[in-house]
Amino acid sequence: MRIERRLRQPWWLTIVVPVLSIVVAFVLSAFVLLLTGHPPLRSFHRLFDAAFTGNGALSESVVSATPLAFTGLAAAVAFRMNLFNIGGEGQLYAGAIMGATAGLLLAGSPSPLIFAAMIAAGAVGGALLAAIPAILRAFFSTNEIITSLMLNYVVGLVLEYLIFDSHSYLRDTSGFEANVFPQGKTLPDEATWSSWNIHGLVLPLGFVLSIAVAGFVWVLYSRTRFGFEVQVIGDSVRAGRYAGMRTRRKILAVMCLSGAIAGLGGASQTGDFRHQLDPRGLRSANYGYTGIVIAALARYNPFAVVLVALLLGGLQNAGFTLQGADFPAGLVGVMQGLILFCALGGELFVRYRVRFAW
Amino acid sequence: MDFEAAAGEVHALLGENGAGKTTLSNILTGLYRPDEGHIELFGEHVEFNSPRDALDAGVAMVHQHFRLVSPFTVAENVVLGDHRDVGRSFFLRPRAIESRVEELSQRYGLAVAPRARIWQLSVGEQQRVEILKALYQDARILILDEPTAVLTPQEAGALFETIRAMAADGRTIIFISHKLHEVKAVADQVTVLRRGQSVATVPIVDATPRSLASLMVGHEIEAGRRQDGGQEPGEAVLELDEVWADGDRGVAALRDVSLTVCAGEIVGVAGVAGNGQRELAETIVGMRPATAGKVRVRGRGIRNGDPRGAIGAGVAYVPEDRLGTGVAPGLSVASNVVLKAYREPPASHGPILRTRRIRELAERVIERYDVRTSGPHVPAWQLSGGNLQKVVLAREFSGEPVALVAAAPTRGLDVAGIETVHSYLREAAERGVAVLLISEDLDEILMLADRIAVMYEGSIVGERDARVATARDIGLLMAGGEDGD
Amino acid sequence: MNNSLVVVVIASGVLFGTPLLYAALGELLAERSGVLNLGVEGMMLMGAVTGFWTVERVHAARPLVLAAAVGVAALAGAAMAAIHAFLVITLRANQIVSGLALTIFAGAAGLSSYLGNDLHLSGKPARYQFQEIFPKSLRDLPIVGPVIFGQPLLVYASWACVVLVALYLSRTRVGLNVRAVGESPAAADAMGVSVPRYRYAHTLVGGAFAGIGGATFSLSITPQWVDGLTEGAGWIAIALVIFSFWRPTLCLVGAYFFGAFKALPFALQGHGVTVAPELFQTLPYVATIIALVLVSSRAARLRFGAPAALGLPYAREER
Repeated sequence: MRIERRLRQPWWLTIVVPVLSIVVAFVLSAFVLLLTGHPPLRSFHRLFDAAFTGNGALSESVVSATPLAFTGLAAAVAFRMNLFNIGGEGQLYAGAIMGATAGLLLAGSPSPLIFAAMIAAGAVGGALLAAIPAILRAFFSTNEIITSLMLNYVVGLVLEYLIFDSHSYLRDTSGFEANVFPQGKTLPDEATWSSWNIHGLVLPLGFVLSIAVAGFVWVLYSRTRFGFEVQVIGDSVRAGRYAGMRTRRKILAVMCLSGAIAGLGGASQTGDFRHQLDPRGLRSANYGYTGIVIAALARYNPFAVVLVALLLGGLQNAGFTLQGADFPAGLVGVMQGLILFCALGGELFVRYRVRFAW
Repeated sequence: MDFEAAAGEVHALLGENGAGKTTLSNILTGLYRPDEGHIELFGEHVEFNSPRDALDAGVAMVHQHFRLVSPFTVAENVVLGDHRDVGRSFFLRPRAIESRVEELSQRYGLAVAPRARIWQLSVGEQQRVEILKALYQDARILILDEPTAVLTPQEAGALFETIRAMAADGRTIIFISHKLHEVKAVADQVTVLRRGQSVATVPIVDATPRSLASLMVGHEIEAGRRQDGGQEPGEAVLELDEVWADGDRGVAALRDVSLTVCAGEIVGVAGVAGNGQRELAETIVGMRPATAGKVRVRGRGIRNGDPRGAIGAGVAYVPEDRLGTGVAPGLSVASNVVLKAYREPPASHGPILRTRRIRELAERVIERYDVRTSGPHVPAWQLSGGNLQKVVLAREFSGEPVALVAAAPTRGLDVAGIETVHSYLREAAERGVAVLLISEDLDEILMLADRIAVMYEGSIVGERDARVATARDIGLLMAGGEDGD
Repeated sequence: MNNSLVVVVIASGVLFGTPLLYAALGELLAERSGVLNLGVEGMMLMGAVTGFWTVERVHAARPLVLAAAVGVAALAGAAMAAIHAFLVITLRANQIVSGLALTIFAGAAGLSSYLGNDLHLSGKPARYQFQEIFPKSLRDLPIVGPVIFGQPLLVYASWACVVLVALYLSRTRVGLNVRAVGESPAAADAMGVSVPRYRYAHTLVGGAFAGIGGATFSLSITPQWVDGLTEGAGWIAIALVIFSFWRPTLCLVGAYFFGAFKALPFALQGHGVTVAPELFQTLPYVATIIALVLVSSRAARLRFGAPAALGLPYAREER
């Protein structure tokens, strides 16, 4: 078998290969289901129904997809410059902490002001956290993969500390029950983000915001000098230096942008859906890591990120809905993993030609 | 392609770049498989599916780019992959290996300390390690790919003696080169290659440099020398004043370098690879900060360690590492054409890129410089070396530079590509650009330069007027010999 | 004196550090051959769940069951690593993305959780577990008693593994080849060392080690199965490899250091000192970041740097 780099990539490959990858992933998932004694077709049907076609299912899937769209965009923004920010998880927590704080502090103010403050606070929170690996990478050449990853755990633990082990501002300390079962303080009603109902499909502000961010990222990366520099540095740092680009500054900017987008996801979690700081819920959802999967699946294209987020969000939503004795938890992760494996493997056929001639 | 070599013979493969020498040797060592035809060894048909097969059959190769593991010691490199000698045992026996290496290096005059780490060695020493590896594996056929490219004339002489000693032991040496005088000096037989075919095999005694050269390129050529343009150099444009800079390992790689290049002048920097030439180029263009001293362009100091400062001052740079520094390989030709100009109109307007203008600019460059590609959208890595270099030169000239630093601009190019690059460099000088040509190819420097500076261990050890300089004289300086003898 | 804070912390630090040590040794082997596998967490969890399942379902003498459990855990880890190896070595996929995919596939919300739920493993204590093997008289010796003699078999086995891996890498011919494949695959290839074969072998063995590390949780430390019981130990193991400059013996030291941090809050609670465990538990992560910054200076990188070809696919045709 010989593997050669393709000189020309036929356009249809970029569509056929991902579609085939997903088909293969479903076939493999079917095997997993069969092996463990579950009827695959019926499981898939239920999964699809609960994800997309069922009554109100799509709206629920949009809810699941919203944080994934943010973390996916965050990962894509950084990966474009070969910066592997896998701290989307922690940056989302930071955004949630900051967003919740802003929402609580501004109780009583007009809603638009609170929304704006929460969005800004979330972005700043994520950006500040991302600045740590960015600075270490830019000035000490410390590998950002490990540092951003370690910070996920640090912030995750801080998150739990704020609610479970301290008397912080964010914790609900109002009654006896709240002291036995610690939880976050509920945000005021005016801090509940708007949503739009279009023929029964509910679009939360966060999701609309993620589409706007996707548009912004697309313009930034394909139409501006900044985006050009990111492309060059992402392709070859030395070529960027050679052309007189400020690589350190760009590392800082891109990482902070990436962190800010992930932070928006956190703000949206508190504003759109949870209305309190919910450590267990946030930590168990793995939004950040799934976002990396989504970015890779979408080949870092911002609009594709939103679409893939809907697909995986749908799966996740279905997983929650169906979870029970006959539908083991973990299946969704297995399927997500398989889809990614297949997409990664499929990538080879886009970039290379495989010949079996000797 | 056919050719035959006898035991105990030094057989040269002579040909221009791109004539198929390297492909042939990759087939002989099992890295590639031939599409057709077969190889016979000592009368037996052999088939190499991997480097291991070739090694087991006694065929070893010294690649142009060494295949050494730099954190390893000499002995560790030599024993790597061995499964016959003392390396056969499961546990390594460093003493036994070291003494065997010692013995071999004494027998063939390959002085190198077995316990030294590769990264501590000079290029010439590293080459000796490569040869030791082959000898240690009992290679009966040894292929040397352009072995002298990284050596001083004096070191090359020593290598030739080693080659003769190995041939005297009954080994077959295949010596790949494009330098006629070397082939003449060391080979018994010579096979000339042209465009992937063997044109002729002749005993060396019957060959003259002239006859070989015409076989090689298909027509008679003139040995070039700098034609006197008669143009007097103008004012000093590029000045280095006692410049020091550190290399990648943190040790001083440039020591007290002072150098002046005037408008309309080509100054050649000669030297064996790794004597600070790369650091010199990078320091001038700001990619490497100087630790002391000053770089001036037209009398104005440029900001230290900031490539944008040098670009702003009008210093163009053709880097040694084309794919990776000179161009971003994954980006389109169009993007690479505006790699430096994207900041200003017409390529951009404020923060916004004007993609249509950029495409037009690229189309113009492709046409004017005759870049062979199917369009401006093609990723740069798909271009051949010569076409890539055209893109780099086009971009660098479009900035209307006052000075040009060209580092190994013709490395890896075919004859036509070399010609093009040379003519562009000459043209630039005629237009009054101060050209600093850094090259390891002494012939190239002798052909193009007005003045020659020789680098050795980070310092400029001598300067010569190109009209009176001789290869022998420069070679001595390159080897660190005394100035002025 | 064996109840003193220091002894307790060191003794439980050794125990808590053992799964890290196994996983880090495995990752070290893979990385030395040039393959970065970020899927350690997933491989550990698979080892933990399959090891636990073996103990639950196999009926035989205790030592046999435990040996089988460790074997199954190793196989499960290696099977997971095989997916990664195929993707990154044969198909040349991005090593980072593939490793993360493996974590998602096998990790706390993936296959390990699926198996745990589907086989109804959660919430009950292990039928057999690894226990202290030395007699009580030895375990009661001051200091060395709890620290050296009070450990289960898996701890002693890990010491043997450290010695074996260290000797293997530095003293054997095959070990030399592995290092060459990780540093300069082109050089190794030219000398007839098969780069893919070496990379596959070491990625798989690395996975097996991670599987055993996971089983250390479910068969000795916890000892039961809950979703995601490794709690990020796989990620720490990856950091630990860097922390130890890719040297097995330093891995041992680092693993116990991290283990001690994990053990400290529990020990302090036992002594009546209450600290917020969350904040305390951030310390190893912060320490890793600091250690990383300290060794990322240029001089340190030259001496202790990563294998030069780490994370890069190797293909002979593309040069």
